[in-house]
Amino acid sequence: MHETELNDLSDDADYAASLQQGSASMTRSDSSRRSSSSEPDGAEVVYLKDNVTIHPTQYASERISGRLKLIKQGASLFITWIPYKGQSSNAKLSERDKNLYTIRAVPFTEIRSIRRHTPTLGWQYIIVVLSSGLAFPPLYFYNGGVREFLATIKQHIFLVRSAEDANVFVVNDFQDPLQRTLSSLELPRAVPVANGRSSSLSASESPTDKNQVRADGVAVDGSLSSIQNNGRQRQKMHDPARDLSIHVLEKFSLVTRFARETTSQLFRENHSEGFGGNERRNHSQSSHDYHQNAASIDVEKVPDEVPVAPDPLEKSPCSNRGEEAATNVGTFELIDSKEIDKLTVWGKPRQPPLGPEEWATFLDSEGRVTDEKALRKRIFYGGVENNLRKEVWTFLLGYHAHDSTYAEREYLVLIKKSEYETIKNQWQSITQDQAKRFTKFRERRGLIEKDVVRTDRSLSFYEGDDNPNVNLLRDILLTYSFYNFDLGYCQGMSDLLSPILFIMKDESESFWCFVSLMERLGPNFNRDQNGMHSQLFALSKLVELLDVPLHNYFKQNDCLNYFFCFRWILIQFKREFEYERTLRLWEVLWTHHLSEHLHLYVCVAILKRYRRKIMGEQMDFDTLLKFINELSGQIDLDAILKDAEALCICAGEHGAASIPPGTPPSLPLDTGLLYAQQDDEVL
Amino acid sequence: MPSRRRTLLKVIILGDSGVGKTSLMNQYVNRKFSNQYKATIGADFLTKEVQFEDRLFTLQIWDTAGQERFQSLGVAFYRGADCCVLVYDVNVMKSFENLNNWREEFLIQASPSDPENFPFVVLGNKVDVDGGNSRVVSEKKARAWCASKGNIPYFETSAKEGINVEDAFQCIAKDALKSGDDEEIYLPDTIDVASSSQQRSTGCEC
Repeated sequence: MHETELNDLSDDADYAASLQQGSASMTRSDSSRRSSSSEPDGAEVVYLKDNVTIHPTQYASERISGRLKLIKQGASLFITWIPYKGQSSNAKLSERDKNLYTIRAVPFTEIRSIRRHTPTLGWQYIIVVLSSGLAFPPLYFYNGGVREFLATIKQHIFLVRSAEDANVFVVNDFQDPLQRTLSSLELPRAVPVANGRSSSLSASESPTDKNQVRADGVAVDGSLSSIQNNGRQRQKMHDPARDLSIHVLEKFSLVTRFARETTSQLFRENHSEGFGGNERRNHSQSSHDYHQNAASIDVEKVPDEVPVAPDPLEKSPCSNRGEEAATNVGTFELIDSKEIDKLTVWGKPRQPPLGPEEWATFLDSEGRVTDEKALRKRIFYGGVENNLRKEVWTFLLGYHAHDSTYAEREYLVLIKKSEYETIKNQWQSITQDQAKRFTKFRERRGLIEKDVVRTDRSLSFYEGDDNPNVNLLRDILLTYSFYNFDLGYCQGMSDLLSPILFIMKDESESFWCFVSLMERLGPNFNRDQNGMHSQLFALSKLVELLDVPLHNYFKQNDCLNYFFCFRWILIQFKREFEYERTLRLWEVLWTHHLSEHLHLYVCVAILKRYRRKIMGEQMDFDTLLKFINELSGQIDLDAILKDAEALCICAGEHGAASIPPGTPPSLPLDTGLLYAQQDDEVL
Repeated sequence: MPSRRRTLLKVIILGDSGVGKTSLMNQYVNRKFSNQYKATIGADFLTKEVQFEDRLFTLQIWDTAGQERFQSLGVAFYRGADCCVLVYDVNVMKSFENLNNWREEFLIQASPSDPENFPFVVLGNKVDVDGGNSRVVSEKKARAWCASKGNIPYFETSAKEGINVEDAFQCIAKDALKSGDDEEIYLPDTIDVASSSQQRSTGCEC
């Protein structure tokens, strides 16, 4: 399979095609071709594998196949994955979708680790995690070859198996001080390659060129944002080694283009309804500001507040009625500011919660939910009255089927109760003496006992010494850890169980509702954290789609890993709202109306609410994390839900395509059952 | 006239779940103890101004989730640390045995420039529990381990009673300062001050 190509990638038909795809709006593709043709150094393809595929959605028809390569140039190794052109029969799968996921020459200096999954049944796949904490979607090897892939990498760079997890291979992890020194010496050599100055692989030029394109790409709001331009000044002074791979940035810029097109489409479709926020006067004003601020940043005197680019999706007053604003996005008609106030831009008004009388109308005489979709939609817009939650949540969580009758549910409850008791008995029958020789059990029980006594104890339901409900939390979690022994117990689970027990009151029913919830959120707690990584990755994509200036700000400030949103996502905002508000949010999220991933749009909505503060005060990662942690208890849920709904609609299918397949709370992927694959030891 | 410029010292607290990381941090910064702290999800930090010989420093103390499953997050939080505090519960043997894992994981993820000499401080917490009767890790054993790892300073603390917490963090701050001393990136203007006068002269047991 080893084959040598002396040519650079511009001769690769797939690559050239994908470049052409972007050339209409990106000047960079031209310059890259120029630079590559004048590039004397050859690049060698050291690994090539066809039919390596990503699964952007759960549908088999929307999978994207491509060619994976490892390319060696000088001392640097690059990974590329280029989707095939025009192979798909699916109309929804446009070339743009393919470009979104294209991996163009990412150097291994930017890669932190590679996780391999080699299930006994189904396809092998790998997940590439970048140093920034971002991860690419899983790459499925339809023709096998993960072992060869890793072995090839090992021939060229330093790759070690993680001591923690035999399936994780860590790149550039030099524990030996000598190796570490060597590695750091190599950096200056590797970076210019990554920057494209001497690389035929690179599609970008010097940082200046790159920024030119970025400025181009950011023009969703029709103005060159000051932040963007500040960034341009700062980036020049940046240690290039700290920058994200430019190739990754290039990938992002394609998404930027989506954002632009999506937004322009929205503008076209909705400008009569108020989606026309371009202000030409602001443009010159902010450009002026930027020159001043950029100058001050150069001497490291960062002003307390910097002007913040307007939110592309925000309502903004416009003055010149009827005037057309020519922007990079397209041409829009500007709308009178007086009109704008009358128009509804954001989500529909919230409704009162679903009450008993209305609930009865959703049920037939035998207790079946006649119109599940309508019910979900109704709850999406208003939630459920507290005294109905015990009944309604069992449907939302999937414990009871919507088409089940009263009698069937009653029967199921009985069956499940005895099933629960059986599992519970498994650990209850472990004697003290036996436990002495059962370290794993003792540790697990210890961890659970430590956590239940610090879960929602200020709530009267759980407060006080020897509270029986705290014991119930412990019993259910311990039983769950036997029900799903592989997943076991992980911190955060007690936060997810607490509201369920609070509503259900019944031990067995709480357990089974929790089981249903964990079918979707279980991957949040996986040992490899892949569920969290895929959600944080999707979140970064969504912010890029829905707020380019904010995305650029995060990029410039090393915040792209979105770890500051970790708590939000892991326990579904449980620590961010008062208890009652959390219950409301959860039932809305569980409806899966509009999207299974509304929680990610909630993240975007909150970030957008505070975007001005975040960028204006120039928060760095630490400050941002602190700021986000301290937002706890201060977020207006109804307003955020309206925003999230609107953002979800705005993002449309591009939003859906930004979310890797199987991302929680989607049900785990059906990994296919093509053939069995032995888990060969590689390294 | 000594510089009044504030300098940031970054400290990471690591250790098993429930050993008292959040409590130690809050006892030191706010002089408060609560039985109601929730399990830390993700990470958080508190800051405290400390003064050494006319110079002000901001001690930024990072509190992280204790379950080993969350360690992959460390890469984002450990970077740029000046000192790492390893905490165990003197009443839980496993939490002591895990110190080595925490130390190694930290060195891998933070990849400090000089791992051999990176400053750690070990705290054996909860010495107040049951009047010391439920203790399973002896001070001698803990000190022996610290000695074997390059003479790591060791303190026995109680976050609940406030025992030794102030002293421990004094030592932590000094070690962090000393670490910053070696790395010009973090203390560009102030390197000279610490070198001679900030030797571990006051109370650091090392």
